[in-house]
Amino acid sequence: MCSAHRPALESVTVISNERLAEHVGRVVFEAPRTAAAIRPGQFVHLRIARGAAFILRRPFSVFRAGGGKLEVLYQVVGAATLALAEAEPGDGMDVIGPLGHGWEFPGGMAHALVVAGGLGIGPMGMLVEELARLGVASTLAQGAHSADRLLARDVFEDACRHVEVATDDGSAGRTGLVTDLMDDLVAADAPDVVYVCGPEPMQRIAAAKAAQAGIPCQVSLERLMACGVGVCLSCVVETTSGLLRACVDGPVFDASEVAWVGAGEAAVRQ
Amino acid sequence: MRVRIGALELRSPVMTASGTFGSGAEYSDFFELSRLGALVTKGVSFERWRGNDSPRMAETPSGMLNSIGLQNPGVEAFCAKDLVWLADADVPVIVNVVGHSVDQYVAVAERLDSEPVVSAVEVNISCPNVDAGGMAFGTSCSAAADAVRAVRAVTTKTLIVKLSPNVTDVTEIARAVEAEGADALSLINTLLGMKIDTRSLRPTLARGAGGLSGPAIRPVGVRMVWEVARSVQVPVIGMGGIMVAEDAVEYLAAGATAVAVGTATFVDPLSAISVIDGLQQFCAVRGIDRVADLTGAAWPERTS
Repeated sequence: MCSAHRPALESVTVISNERLAEHVGRVVFEAPRTAAAIRPGQFVHLRIARGAAFILRRPFSVFRAGGGKLEVLYQVVGAATLALAEAEPGDGMDVIGPLGHGWEFPGGMAHALVVAGGLGIGPMGMLVEELARLGVASTLAQGAHSADRLLARDVFEDACRHVEVATDDGSAGRTGLVTDLMDDLVAADAPDVVYVCGPEPMQRIAAAKAAQAGIPCQVSLERLMACGVGVCLSCVVETTSGLLRACVDGPVFDASEVAWVGAGEAAVRQ
Repeated sequence: MRVRIGALELRSPVMTASGTFGSGAEYSDFFELSRLGALVTKGVSFERWRGNDSPRMAETPSGMLNSIGLQNPGVEAFCAKDLVWLADADVPVIVNVVGHSVDQYVAVAERLDSEPVVSAVEVNISCPNVDAGGMAFGTSCSAAADAVRAVRAVTTKTLIVKLSPNVTDVTEIARAVEAEGADALSLINTLLGMKIDTRSLRPTLARGAGGLSGPAIRPVGVRMVWEVARSVQVPVIGMGGIMVAEDAVEYLAAGATAVAVGTATFVDPLSAISVIDGLQQFCAVRGIDRVADLTGAAWPERTS
């Protein structure tokens, strides 16, 4: 009933919680079971507080996992993430995890392009570490509003062969959108797979560029969800196979299967 | 802990609420389903229903709004997949039945009648999230009576009718469906509500309004169970915002024979189990022999 990779409830303890930029933080949990079981691109459903007016869990990508610890990057967008930002070492919470269908690693892959916009960097730490472990050369295209919001650069400098950045205000790298970096990187590296996470309009552009270049593309989509385990049908995604659930069929989807028409609302509503 | 609902004898008075438990497979990772009094499935229609556009869910103070719209694969796919899986689950199965018309309710109930895995049907005349049918049947005495009479004629299963709180006098509807042969009543379904996104100045849910659930609605549910249980002879299954055992005690004392745990399962998959354990403990501490003795314990004639 409780095989190692099936989702389970685990009590976790905050080990550290630091502010990385305005409204952005990194929390590390002691979570041995989930940390051992989770695969790149999967997520955890975190119960942040008890007795609060917000009762639902919040889904979070796991940035890195290992040594019994889960590392999560978060942005303060409401009461629940504010409570998370105020959590202190020693605080107890609980997670359901590991959840969802994560990144795929097709055989024979020599080079991967990883494209992350803003907090879309959230599921990319485990991804680039796994790519490195598999001997796949990875390039990261990272975009953010400004230089101080280019998160966790040290992780990528270590694990990626090459990192390119773009900022809206030009304070680091190229001025503009992260997807503006893609054409040159695709031409230079001829990646076998493109991995994408970020605001939905950005994901749609990245997916279109990958499709144009004939490169398979995986996207990690964000949806509001209640249960996180496939029951409530809050998080459905329109695909070529009909409505699929982001929580169990995703959050990672083959970009060519996502029906992007009408997309972008989710990002606006965050 | 045993209670009786129609022809069903349940090992515990705690069920799952429709739409919050799928058909059980997802939560079987977390506990043995056989511990439940009964498992109430997601609503099942005759044909496949696509459900509503997204966003379908919004969190609100101490609760949530949903406008899923009863997305489901239709009764044939449900029988072929969900019921086959449930056959091995060792838990009484109550199938929530939905329709846009009386004929559709009847078609689903008829199809389910030959399925031995199904212990009871719960006729959902109270979903606020569909345009035709759903709540429209549950907010008029005559429409509710028509639907229940038609389903009663084609089912030999225990027949539960799920009532809407979005009415002026829930006891009228309750008496009307009892008169047509309902074996039990379940209430409350979600309360109609709306949230506005203050950035876009548009409703947060794509559909506009949705159904409110969670602890925010518990006092409304308890009051309505009180009213209905005092107006009918058939057992009442109480639900709406039950998070812990004390909440279930409130419903039982208000007149419910059994209870259902819904939104709480999203918060903690083990909620229903905690409620079962907590109820048992409550009875033990209070020297209550049978949980059925709690039903209506708060009524004036019982407390005087």
